Amino acid sequence: MNESPKDQDHLLPYARRSDFKVARATELTGSDRRFYRFLEIVPGVTAWLSLIGVILASIYIPQYAAYFIIAFAIYWVLKTIFLSYHVRYNWKRLRHHMKLDWQRLVGRFEYRHLHHLVVLPYYKEPREVLEGALKGLREANYDPKQIIVVLAAEERAGEEAAALGHEMEARFGADFGHFLVTVHPSDIAGEIAGKGSNVHWALNQVHDSVIAPNAIPHRDILTSIFDIDTVIYQDYFNCLIWHFMTAENPYKSAFQPVPLFTNNLWDASALARVMAMSSTFWQMIMQERPDKAATFSSHSVSYQALYEIGYGQANVVSEDSRIYWNLLIANEGKFVVVPMSYPIAMDAVTAAGLWGTIKNIYRQHRRWTYGVENWCYIVYHFAKNPDIPRRRKWTIALLQGEGYWSLVTNPIMLFILGWAPIYLGSREFHETVLSYELPIMVRNLLIIAMGGLVVSSIISLSLTPPRPKHRSRFRYVVMAVQWIMVPMTMIVFSAIPGLDAQTRLMFGHYMGFWVTPKSRESQTS
Amino acid sequence: MPNEPQIKVLSEQRRERFFWVLVVVFLVTLPTLIFYTTGYRLSFEDEQTTIVSTGGMYINTEDLDVEVYLDEELIERPRLFRSAYYIQNLSAGQHRVVVQRPDLQTWVKDLPVYSHIVTEASAFNLPERPHVRPITPYLTAAGTPVLFGVASGTEPFGIATSTEPVFVATTTATSSFTQNEEFVFVSSLFSITSTSTRSVFERLVDGLDRFRFATTTDATSTATSTQQPVARGNTGLFIRNGELFAEWIGNQQNIPYYYCVSTDTATSTAARYGDHVAEAFSRIREATSTEIIIDGNRRCRPEIKLDRLRQDVFYYAFFPNTQDLVVLHLEDGVYVTEIDDRAWQNTQLLYPGTDLTVVVENDLIFVRDGERYYELITEIEPSP
Repeated sequence: MNESPKDQDHLLPYARRSDFKVARATELTGSDRRFYRFLEIVPGVTAWLSLIGVILASIYIPQYAAYFIIAFAIYWVLKTIFLSYHVRYNWKRLRHHMKLDWQRLVGRFEYRHLHHLVVLPYYKEPREVLEGALKGLREANYDPKQIIVVLAAEERAGEEAAALGHEMEARFGADFGHFLVTVHPSDIAGEIAGKGSNVHWALNQVHDSVIAPNAIPHRDILTSIFDIDTVIYQDYFNCLIWHFMTAENPYKSAFQPVPLFTNNLWDASALARVMAMSSTFWQMIMQERPDKAATFSSHSVSYQALYEIGYGQANVVSEDSRIYWNLLIANEGKFVVVPMSYPIAMDAVTAAGLWGTIKNIYRQHRRWTYGVENWCYIVYHFAKNPDIPRRRKWTIALLQGEGYWSLVTNPIMLFILGWAPIYLGSREFHETVLSYELPIMVRNLLIIAMGGLVVSSIISLSLTPPRPKHRSRFRYVVMAVQWIMVPMTMIVFSAIPGLDAQTRLMFGHYMGFWVTPKSRESQTS
Repeated sequence: MPNEPQIKVLSEQRRERFFWVLVVVFLVTLPTLIFYTTGYRLSFEDEQTTIVSTGGMYINTEDLDVEVYLDEELIERPRLFRSAYYIQNLSAGQHRVVVQRPDLQTWVKDLPVYSHIVTEASAFNLPERPHVRPITPYLTAAGTPVLFGVASGTEPFGIATSTEPVFVATTTATSSFTQNEEFVFVSSLFSITSTSTRSVFERLVDGLDRFRFATTTDATSTATSTQQPVARGNTGLFIRNGELFAEWIGNQQNIPYYYCVSTDTATSTAARYGDHVAEAFSRIREATSTEIIIDGNRRCRPEIKLDRLRQDVFYYAFFPNTQDLVVLHLEDGVYVTEIDDRAWQNTQLLYPGTDLTVVVENDLIFVRDGERYYELITEIEPSP
């Protein structure tokens, strides 16, 4: 993790700290280690105490537990309304952006000198997935000669993976300005295997192999770190250029598109579709709350910004959001997410059979919710970095903390523990009007909250790509009705994996990176 | 075509405004809903708007297709798959509940309702006309019970009814019929000289005293029956001073609601639950061997006297599959009475007759009416 002083000359001052890229408490020593370990315990303890607290309150003070549950149900309804408002607004903005001629809009800027560096880390994904991503880049409304493509293979994926990369290079290499295939060595000390370490390696390689030899100014490169299943919409680069050019401080900004998991939507199971769309909706909400957002999955950022912090971390699971926190902290809190409100297409989780899909979705969401490790990183460095405004620190720490807490506890409290006072309460409580009215009240409030599912259904159908011929029209009906699974998916695929992840962190059972299997049955974009 | 995107990011001011609006909605809604959920309601009587405290009632009707009236007003049916009526918005005081159906006997109770409290009760409705299954000594080859000695044009079961097909024999010849093993077993239940299995014999020995006990000869007798008390779950039945009692023998924390009253003074207890309940508490207070259970905001007696309609009790047992109802064989028939004696105990006739013998075995009620043996069907048919 430590670089020599000479290697650190290009880094921002805070990024030169030896603990700047800390991933877990075991990488620290002394009081820092104890503090970091404490932070790792807090999320899990808070979540478990909340859930156990509701149960204990239901047993010993059921009346107050009932009041809390009513308050919680009202909060949930209002939160649903609040977030639904954001989704609907972004839906409007998304559709508007998809209709714009971005190529014309960027005409007023001088941007031809800009290069796009696209890093595509992959593992053992099939040929069709790589082809889809590369075709999307080639067919974009942008001069492909201004695009530098890096296909980042993993040594541990075997020779076939590297060979596939070279095959792609042979087929697509001539279309782009530069095409590089990197092979990330396995078992580099201090790294964990996964996308983050692969990207870190690839960025170093492209610097040495393409950027430096061709003397491409760092400030002229926009880096897009894409999951391998990402298929960009045609105007992605123009839209990115426009937002880069109009950003208040483009070199202190990350640019976040809206992930639509639509590449294989027609082939995915209803469960996978609901989960995928739910993730899309959350990102749409964040598009309208950029001050509360972090980067997610495929996103773009200036190469200069990455270079100044040493390209991000090779030792974390949630590398996509960690890069944003690295940038924020190293830039003294002066780094923002710019929501592009423009889509990129990605894959929904698929697997052979329903049980396989369930397992894969669970693992994927456990990995995503392991992003709680970022909260520990944020708070640790907030405590260390005096240059970030205090208000910004508190706002971010509390908002992020509340987000991870509510993700894990809210669905369980609402859909399961809402009935705890009735089952666990005392005889005296059972005779009260409150105990009889509580389930009726909670049920009615949840019905109101679930009314938002109708909106979700409508929006998701509007974002669905055209039906392939081999899929019947009946699938539209299924896609509309599938949203009744949301209460179940919120518990089984959000709350429980989140609790799983936080509990692992709490006990120091650090997770590694799990690669989401990608596959395609048919070309849908 | 515009030169700029026309829809900007949602402004922070707009988000904040909306957020604070929702905060205000939360702060207003929360106490309102808590008040509502605990039983407070708005009253618009006398051209004034006031807040009143209400209580509720929870009436279990055992899935029957019945009508429930509260203070002579028909209550809306509960939702599908629900067998109980939760009636809310009731003012504190006495309320009369009537549960009825045209072909069933009516269940009625006057119950007190308290503010913020739900009063619970379980209704039962037996058929107006007893429903029986004949158990005959012989069966046809197809398994149909054979009845002998039925005059043509007469009802084979008297005032009772049966959905069981029967074969009415026109002669007394039995050669073409098969012996019914069930009849052998059932008749043995009634025979004191039966050579049945040990378990039946023990039951008969244990239950001999249950077949009759004197109720009018010695009013001063304080003898308690020495037989094994009948028990089901945490409820037991026993005889004392010539009366039959139901007793709670389980954990005091779980004592059923009908053993308890929510008031302290004898006067209010009598007014709300009946004089007999107030007297029962007074007797228990005076007695040294039985204690009143003080449980939070209520007092509970551990035993309830069962109403035997001033008749001798020949037999008693729990009604099938319940601890709240008791089968009583009285002088003029077989009755079912509820243990819940708030206001009064509903007692309904299950099977009339003066020459009867009754046995409850494995949650089945068998009656011998003269020479005939029947199983009394306790499941209620859907509404016709």
